[in-house]
Amino acid sequence: MSVLQRMYRGETEFDFIAQRRKWFAVSGLLLAASILSLTIRQFDLSIDFTGGTIVEAENVSGLDVADYRSVLAEIGQQGARVQITGEGTRVIISTEELDGPEQDEFVGVVAEAAGVDVDSTNVDAVGATFGGEITRRAVEALAIFLAVVAGFIAWRFEWKMALAALTALFHDLLITAGIYSIVGFEVTPATVIAILTILGYSLYDTVVVFDKITENVHELQSRNTFTEIANLSMNQVLMRSINTSLTSLLPIGSLLFVGSYLLGAATLREFALALFIGVGAGTFSSIFVATPILALWKETEPDWQRMQRRAARRSGAEPGVTPEVAVETVDAGAVARPPRQRRKRR
Amino acid sequence: MNRRRLWITVLLTVVISWGALAGVLAAGLSPKLGLDLQGGFSVLLTAPDNTDEAVLETAVDVMRRRIENLGAVQEPEISVIASRGSIQVQLPGVQDRERALEAVGTTGELSFRPVLAIDIISPAFTDGTLTLPTTPDDTAPSTTTTVGDDSTGDETTTTTTTTTTAAPQPPPPNLDPETGLTIVDDPTQAAYLQGEDGLVYHVGPAFLTGSDVAGAEAGFTPGFSSSGYVVDPEFTSDGAVAFEAATAQLSLYAIGDPRRQMAIVVDGTVESAPQIAADVPAGEGLDADQVFITIGTSDNAQTEAEDLATILRYGALPTVFERERVESVSATLGSDSLQAGLAAGIGGLVLVAFAMVAYYRALGIVAVFGLSVFGSLLMLAITLLSEFQGTTLTLAGVTGIIVSIGITADSYIVFFERIKEEFRRGRPLRGAVDHGFQRAFRTIVTADTVTLIGSVLLWILAIGAVKGFAITLGIATVIDVIVAYFFTRPTAMLLVRGPLAKGGFFSIEGAMGKPSGDMAEATA
Repeated sequence: MSVLQRMYRGETEFDFIAQRRKWFAVSGLLLAASILSLTIRQFDLSIDFTGGTIVEAENVSGLDVADYRSVLAEIGQQGARVQITGEGTRVIISTEELDGPEQDEFVGVVAEAAGVDVDSTNVDAVGATFGGEITRRAVEALAIFLAVVAGFIAWRFEWKMALAALTALFHDLLITAGIYSIVGFEVTPATVIAILTILGYSLYDTVVVFDKITENVHELQSRNTFTEIANLSMNQVLMRSINTSLTSLLPIGSLLFVGSYLLGAATLREFALALFIGVGAGTFSSIFVATPILALWKETEPDWQRMQRRAARRSGAEPGVTPEVAVETVDAGAVARPPRQRRKRR
Repeated sequence: MNRRRLWITVLLTVVISWGALAGVLAAGLSPKLGLDLQGGFSVLLTAPDNTDEAVLETAVDVMRRRIENLGAVQEPEISVIASRGSIQVQLPGVQDRERALEAVGTTGELSFRPVLAIDIISPAFTDGTLTLPTTPDDTAPSTTTTVGDDSTGDETTTTTTTTTTAAPQPPPPNLDPETGLTIVDDPTQAAYLQGEDGLVYHVGPAFLTGSDVAGAEAGFTPGFSSSGYVVDPEFTSDGAVAFEAATAQLSLYAIGDPRRQMAIVVDGTVESAPQIAADVPAGEGLDADQVFITIGTSDNAQTEAEDLATILRYGALPTVFERERVESVSATLGSDSLQAGLAAGIGGLVLVAFAMVAYYRALGIVAVFGLSVFGSLLMLAITLLSEFQGTTLTLAGVTGIIVSIGITADSYIVFFERIKEEFRRGRPLRGAVDHGFQRAFRTIVTADTVTLIGSVLLWILAIGAVKGFAITLGIATVIDVIVAYFFTRPTAMLLVRGPLAKGGFFSIEGAMGKPSGDMAEATA
């Protein structure tokens, strides 16, 4: 039976936990790269966070960057950043925070230079204090979200799981932030939404795995070590996890596709990209980060340590690396049958 | 499980969701679109620190009045954010941005002016500036027309003799010939203005403006001659001097003469026109530090006093509000974004439906119908919220809808994978579906609760666009649970008891694969 077929049936026997070092290494690498970039390059923050003024218009007059610069120099805005996009069809000019009349002047001058009516430009102007407030609130929202969610998981399952889940979330957060920093995506309030969505997904995924583990523990705790149960659970949900990621990615992919082709939907595109990366990271972390950490932790509990010793005695092998035992016994456990039917399942 | 009951549940759910949506659409309701989906203009204005809420509300009233006069704006949304001392203005679909910005960005001018005449209709008609539109005598040449005064009370309105010639005089440029009111009020000139009390005032040029006023308080004075609610205005030092000089002039007139009154004008409307008190000798001015305006002891005197005090404080605001955040979206960008959002949403739905059917086959059909029920309920909820709560649908909201498609699809996957698992463990197909749902439902509720918590938090903590995302996501989560229980469960249970349960690639059994273990006899 091929791997795919086995996956389809939930019968794979990957030993996730034994291979944890490999996965931790991968994670570690991504995290290191992220942290490095975050400290050195930091973020490209949009004006919503820093304050500033942006005017965007259709470049009817066909002027180039130098032309705009000279026009802007006349009103003292020679330092403004001018971008011509869409193969010369659109112009985007951003500058610092301006007060009321200066803003109107700025917009008027740009509109005139571009050869369009003032009312068909797109203007975005943010005062620095407002921007700072948005930042603060975004960080606040994030912190409270994590705290409440951790509380919920602790209540529904147990606090060790909550902590393991939080670790996975921080992992996802850091990696997503790292990618934004490395690639240089602009961080906008939409990014904050994207990140919170990603965290939501990651959490959702983690909850499903933990839910499975809890169920299996309830059933098998007298017969298997935690690691074995954890492995089994992850194998069982693997298909489901992948399926979920795929179906979640479909609408996001649709957003991405549409965003790339329709003009004015640049925010959608960036949002979709962030989500794409994040959902992938979320699935990865539920299986390769959250659960192994949980397993390592739980195995230090006295009850589980006793199980480890029993398992070692029983099979004479190192606990945790005997997937066959896990699979066999569970088959037995699902239906009312005498335990320990030692039938090799190959 | 009674098959008929299952059918009833399914049909009822479908009929209610599709029917309600159809009904709502037929009634012409549709979600209100936000700025970023239809174009328009929004600005966050800040007033100086310590500006109280009543003053902000007055500012909002003035803005609303002005926007209405502009005409071209549908459904302006102007609200006070008291905690920040700001006013949020949203003008969807506005065409002339500059005029709109001027209308909301500047505060109404406050001026104190001498009253020259008061009448029920504009004194412009009675003092010779304008001729009444319906006077037939206008057409007769060389006829002397005397317009007498028959207005109320003992007003000494001047009576003028008008001689009409063959060519009638054109009305003065800044005067509306129909209403007799000044079109654009310039405080340095005389004007004919509407009063809050319904009368029309002819006022002279201002002797004090808003910059001369420092503030005002409303209070109650239990005096001897004049007790009751009063307003105590505060003037700047320059303003105090000007005030005393002005009142000295006004006190020259007799009691009852409208010219003894001082009009308090805000933004071209006469808010109040108190008279100099009777006990002030002619030619003597009022001390600005001690002056107060008596409102009286009538039932609504307290409100009147507070309103007037607020008006004065409003007038003392700087002429221009500070703009904290401006967003101007052209109509094309708005409609482009809307199209993009719709296309992405439909595309996403189609792809997901496809994937479900391809992978889960017969059960996938359940998912497809379930998605349509989910979609209907979601649109219904958003439309109703728009209608009754005024919630607008923004691009962030559309994104929330699209993300929620993924979440609801996931609920189906949880359920179907659970069925698969139960089936492979040896449970009979029917039992796998029935029992599988129970277990899967718990997982669905847990996961949806987490998302719901996230949405609620986001909604509480966020400003602007992010709120829209939180709302749609939160609603979608709740609807997902409802649909799972009232639609997916009975439909799946019916399906497994029907012809599509076994036999063939497309059937449920086909999708689940062969069961494993000894209890392989998966007979229903």
